[in-house]
Amino acid sequence: MNPIKRIGGYVLLTALLVVMVFPLVWMFVTSFTGTRGGVTLANYVYIFSTNKFGLYLFNSTLVAVIVTVANVLFCFTCGYALARRMVPGGNFWFYTILIVLMVPVHIVIIPVYLLMNKIGLYDSYGALILPWLVNPIGIFMVRQYVSTLPVSLEEAGRIDGAGELRILFRIVMPLCRPVLAILAIQVFMTNWNSFLYPFILTSSEQYRTLPVALALLLGYQSIDWPQLMAGSVVAVVPVLAVFLAFQRQIISGITAGALKQ
Amino acid sequence: MKRPIAFSGWLLLLPWIAIFLVFWFFPLIYSFILSLTNYRLLAADTQWVGWANYARLLADPDFLISLANTAIFVVGTVPVTTVISLGLALLVNGRFPGRAIFRAAYFLPSITAMVVIALIFSNLYARDGYLYLLARLIGLNPPAEGFLLSEKTALLSIMAMDVWTAAGYYMLVFLGGLQTIPDELYDAARIAGASRWQQFWHVTLPMLRPVMLFVIVINSIKSFQVFVEIFVMTKGGPLNATLTGVYFVYETGLRRFDFGYASAAAYVIFLIIALISIVQFKFLKTGWTA
Repeated sequence: MNPIKRIGGYVLLTALLVVMVFPLVWMFVTSFTGTRGGVTLANYVYIFSTNKFGLYLFNSTLVAVIVTVANVLFCFTCGYALARRMVPGGNFWFYTILIVLMVPVHIVIIPVYLLMNKIGLYDSYGALILPWLVNPIGIFMVRQYVSTLPVSLEEAGRIDGAGELRILFRIVMPLCRPVLAILAIQVFMTNWNSFLYPFILTSSEQYRTLPVALALLLGYQSIDWPQLMAGSVVAVVPVLAVFLAFQRQIISGITAGALKQ
Repeated sequence: MKRPIAFSGWLLLLPWIAIFLVFWFFPLIYSFILSLTNYRLLAADTQWVGWANYARLLADPDFLISLANTAIFVVGTVPVTTVISLGLALLVNGRFPGRAIFRAAYFLPSITAMVVIALIFSNLYARDGYLYLLARLIGLNPPAEGFLLSEKTALLSIMAMDVWTAAGYYMLVFLGGLQTIPDELYDAARIAGASRWQQFWHVTLPMLRPVMLFVIVINSIKSFQVFVEIFVMTKGGPLNATLTGVYFVYETGLRRFDFGYASAAAYVIFLIIALISIVQFKFLKTGWTA
């Protein structure tokens, strides 16, 4: 390619990069801006001392970690059971997964809200965690992955007299590490960022997660942008860290998803 | 050899069976039952009202506005996002130094919490925000009250933000599709004397059809449910200019606690989404040949 075209290509790519990244850069810069300009940490001090961002950060972390661990375990067991057809009517349960993937969440929020009130879990960690212990996309991913693994390893284990649990967790699970890693990353990021369920299923500050706290802050206070942006940075940095650490897996996870279409 | 016993199979699948029944199947059915009642918080008694809620919806200007706004939102964002994300995918598909950085940077908005994005743009769109000043600078005449407080620009502004947010994710999906197209096809096209534009039109696009279907269907379903950005940025205002279907369901059901009526609205939106998905499947599977 001739140099002019090449330079033109980079100019275009860089211009687009500025458009895509500018709002996030603005967030970082604003969060360190003092009331009279200059660089300051005062906004962070304020949101952690006056607002309870320590608590929100704790809640977000607790919920996301529990949900992620639960999903790795349960999506694995469910995906395995479906892949190996261990349950009569296995196809029926597989279809339930595909159907739920297509069901818009807005249609279930009112019954779930009423249910959580009825069973006394409204406004508790249970409400934040319980609905998301296992998710259909994760089960689907594991099922597809296990289907490609040869059964011979499991059979060899059985001949050696290994119990079903041992086969499941010592032989199959390690083989599934790549798909479980992508699953864990996706579940963590989705749960960390989620707003709708945490927002409608909790009311007190005690169970507030970062996204809910940020959304409510905009509504109920006179707006202080540097403080709001400091809170936003707190909400963004963990996801950003996960992304930077696992960039390759995340990006290839999405592109590989398209390959299977 | 011992076959895995059915008992352990049920045990393994139990988490999904429980979550499916409690958090999906039951709510789906219960929501429909609710939609046939006048159930609301603190009401004296709850009665069957048949299809009355649905009839009321059809005459409710707020609901009709919310459907119209949702339609504008979907029709306005999905094609634009599709074209832009395909363009981005073509741009970063080649082998050139630094491509990983550009891919990652374009993808960044997709991993950022929607609440945070909505907060950032609330400021950028405001009267002293950067996007507002930029619009003035290039000679546009932005509304004096800021983009989000004007009936004319509020919905459009949120739509533009949504395109910005979603483009990077679908870029990666398209990138995956582009990488499955065998080089031989392009070689053959070149030998036949096809220009780059012809190659795109006759090789790339037809080969991308399944991915295109995926992107359009998934993005439509998501866009129909737009809620978070509306809640954070405008609460449906000004004057219902950004009232969307799911925001209507939220307002009616969880702020006014009119559960029966809200459930009926939720079901209508659900049916519209299902219908449109089916049409998209049929159309893109058979009707479109490049």
